[in-house]
Amino acid sequence: MDTAFMRRLGPWVAVLAWIFGILLVLMLVVHAHFGEALSGFFNSAFGGRNLAYLMATLSRTTLIVGMALSSMFSFRAGLFNIGGEGQLVAGGMVAALVGVYLPGWGPLVLVCGILAGMAAGAAWALLAGVMQSYLGVPLLIGSLLLNYPAAYIASYLVGHPFRDVASGLPQTFQVQAGTWLPFIPGTRLDVGIVAIIVVAVGAVIYANNTVAGYRARMNGLAPEFARASGLPVRPLLFQTLAISGAVAGLVGGLAVFGVSHRFTDGMLVEPLYAWTGIIAVLLVGMVPWAVPISGFFFAAVETGAAGMERTANVPQQVALIMQAVIILFVAGRISGASLVREAEDGDGL
Amino acid sequence: MQAELSDITVRFGALTAVDHVSLRFSAGEIHAVVGENGAGKSTVMNVLFGLVRPAAGSISLDGRAHVWRTPQDAIAHGLGMVHQHFMLQDSMTVLENIVLGAEPLRPFGFVDFGAARRRLAEIASAYGIGVDVARRVADLSVSERQIVEILKVLYREAELLILDEPTAVLTPQETGRLFGILRNFRQSGKAIVLITHKLDEVMQIADRVSVMRGGKLIASTTLGETSKTEIARGIIGGELPAALKRADTAPGEVVLAVEGLEARGRGRAAGPVSLSVRRGEIVGIAGISGNGQSQLIEALVGMRAPLAGRVVVLGRDVTSADVARHRAAGLSYIPADRQRVGLALQARISENAAIGRETSPAFRRGPFLRRDAMVRFARQLIERYAIKAAGPNARSASLSGGNKQKLVVGRELSRDTPLVIAENPTWGVDIGAIDFIHRELIRMRDSGHAVLLISTELDEVIALSDRIFVLADGRIAGEFSAATADRLAIGALMTSRDQPRQAA
Repeated sequence: MDTAFMRRLGPWVAVLAWIFGILLVLMLVVHAHFGEALSGFFNSAFGGRNLAYLMATLSRTTLIVGMALSSMFSFRAGLFNIGGEGQLVAGGMVAALVGVYLPGWGPLVLVCGILAGMAAGAAWALLAGVMQSYLGVPLLIGSLLLNYPAAYIASYLVGHPFRDVASGLPQTFQVQAGTWLPFIPGTRLDVGIVAIIVVAVGAVIYANNTVAGYRARMNGLAPEFARASGLPVRPLLFQTLAISGAVAGLVGGLAVFGVSHRFTDGMLVEPLYAWTGIIAVLLVGMVPWAVPISGFFFAAVETGAAGMERTANVPQQVALIMQAVIILFVAGRISGASLVREAEDGDGL
Repeated sequence: MQAELSDITVRFGALTAVDHVSLRFSAGEIHAVVGENGAGKSTVMNVLFGLVRPAAGSISLDGRAHVWRTPQDAIAHGLGMVHQHFMLQDSMTVLENIVLGAEPLRPFGFVDFGAARRRLAEIASAYGIGVDVARRVADLSVSERQIVEILKVLYREAELLILDEPTAVLTPQETGRLFGILRNFRQSGKAIVLITHKLDEVMQIADRVSVMRGGKLIASTTLGETSKTEIARGIIGGELPAALKRADTAPGEVVLAVEGLEARGRGRAAGPVSLSVRRGEIVGIAGISGNGQSQLIEALVGMRAPLAGRVVVLGRDVTSADVARHRAAGLSYIPADRQRVGLALQARISENAAIGRETSPAFRRGPFLRRDAMVRFARQLIERYAIKAAGPNARSASLSGGNKQKLVVGRELSRDTPLVIAENPTWGVDIGAIDFIHRELIRMRDSGHAVLLISTELDEVIALSDRIFVLADGRIAGEFSAATADRLAIGALMTSRDQPRQAA
């Protein structure tokens, strides 16, 4: 057991050493003061007055982990839904419109807005499923391509019919104040994180303890096996995509009601929440309990990078290059792991 | 050439795959290496050929020690290996395949195909091999492809040939032809190593036989000093299983009726095929792999919609139904590929055991799984089907090939459906597991189930079946009853299409 653990740990130590080394080289190239940059990085990722920066990191973590969970539902079922971005935008857009235009008691409007956002996200994901099942467009391609119309439709909606012209930006009016997600008492962090924790716990229960989750997982591990065993493969596809899209829509709703209080063009696309989420889930090999940790890691890299630029004059891009390096190492690890698995699965010798 | 392996040890992680094995291969000798799957015989040969580096031990050729860094080193020193899975480029001609990587060159890097063709003609006529080198490999039969692989090795001037299970894909007739060629090699002083698990072939052609079991060399003697039963005992490390016995039952009502079934898949069409399977009988379908078996099976179990024809299970027309409805109609399916189709290797044994049962009240409570019930059921299967496993929650990847297969067989047979479709149910498993699975299939038959056995292992089909159909080129080429079944007659029908094209 011990040696097996060490064998697994070894590569990770090597990876960390590499990442650190590459970071060092990058710092030298941009003539940064290493210690200053590092303290700037850590301070703005985890510190700040009243831990304000940590709150920013956690807020970002919420959205990234949410998107990671959305991808995980699909990936673990063997469905390469990489259209999280489109589903996120659809959800955020619809949630914002409900929040702006539905009159009534704030909390009720909030619930309606979130639910409508989830429905919109699910619908957008299902569209990719329909394209695969009935038109033969592979999910990987269909879901990816659907990101573009989602983004452009949202751009159009906030640019023209629903624009808050007076604000001068392509964005909707603010949602009514009664719908804003409250802060967790004593912090500057909205309760959206609680919703995502609930989803994360739900994801674990779904995967391990429900009939639907079991079927989805079997389909993901061995699609031929699932088919030959008579699992309802097509309903499983739709069901999984609906869950996946609904979670993405939820994240969109949380971003609107918790953070921006309106929908601004590009606000869900430019920070790359969906893509970071995909990377975060792949980094930990789709193990549910580890997803929040990796989501937090990515959020910290990004907020820390911003701070590093402010305090040590190290361009933000350095941190983003580092993130890309990490992704490459992950890609290497994944392919390496699958090779090892094949060897282990061999029958004879 | 005399090749010698001394004290070879190979370890894969914690497993010792080859344990201090020494073997000697001499010129002008056919040396059979026998043993069960996992006995280490392929690994030893891979060491000799430079594919696997031993943890200890040495290789020497004609008394000189060598260390192979790659198989290219071994090839350069006169070794050649014909692998079980052919390594040929389908879209290229025979000639192009053979010279690939060893092209005779003219100035400026042009390939001298004329010279290559002349040399190849010499080699072929020297050993009595007939082959049209201008044909594309894609158009060749399996046995012709094997000849191409052998020519490839000869073209590289191999003095020692290693053949890994060369007869696995051949009919009895083709096997006879291959052996004729091997005898010619022996006469011309080449050393030949034959990896096999078919004892009849060993007795027929080998001069010397080495038996491996569990990574160790059990015996290495000339054929004259041993006997078939002694070899068999050495292979399994105990007494041979008793002969299969079946009850005398009269077949009952028709369970599976297939009429004019046609299916297409992977670019090949199969059918029309008509047959029926009744209660209390095993119907075997013999045929060389790739003659439409997978297309027909997929259509029969609902994984592929047939192009034409009808499939009726117990009076219910399931022609265009999906897999779930096929299974509900009374069918269980043991697929050939346990690694991909039979099991989800990364999932637990209990999860593999419960598949298809998860919606039954015994395994669910509302939307939730009853994990305890799944574990209990897996434990039952492990006990009933003598599966060697660390426990019901171990990953199924941790099981050996035979135990994986027993898990698949157990899961399917325990559904107790009127019809069982078994596709190569004992492919690549050890003798103990083969015997166990055969007995289970016969037990199903004796207790009034209908069994359709599709196998590329002719001996298996003959040993188990009450009636035998021969599948060639997607069609039924002949039918035999158990009493009239004759290996050679069946073998002749298996290649009815390839016969006129056979060049040898």
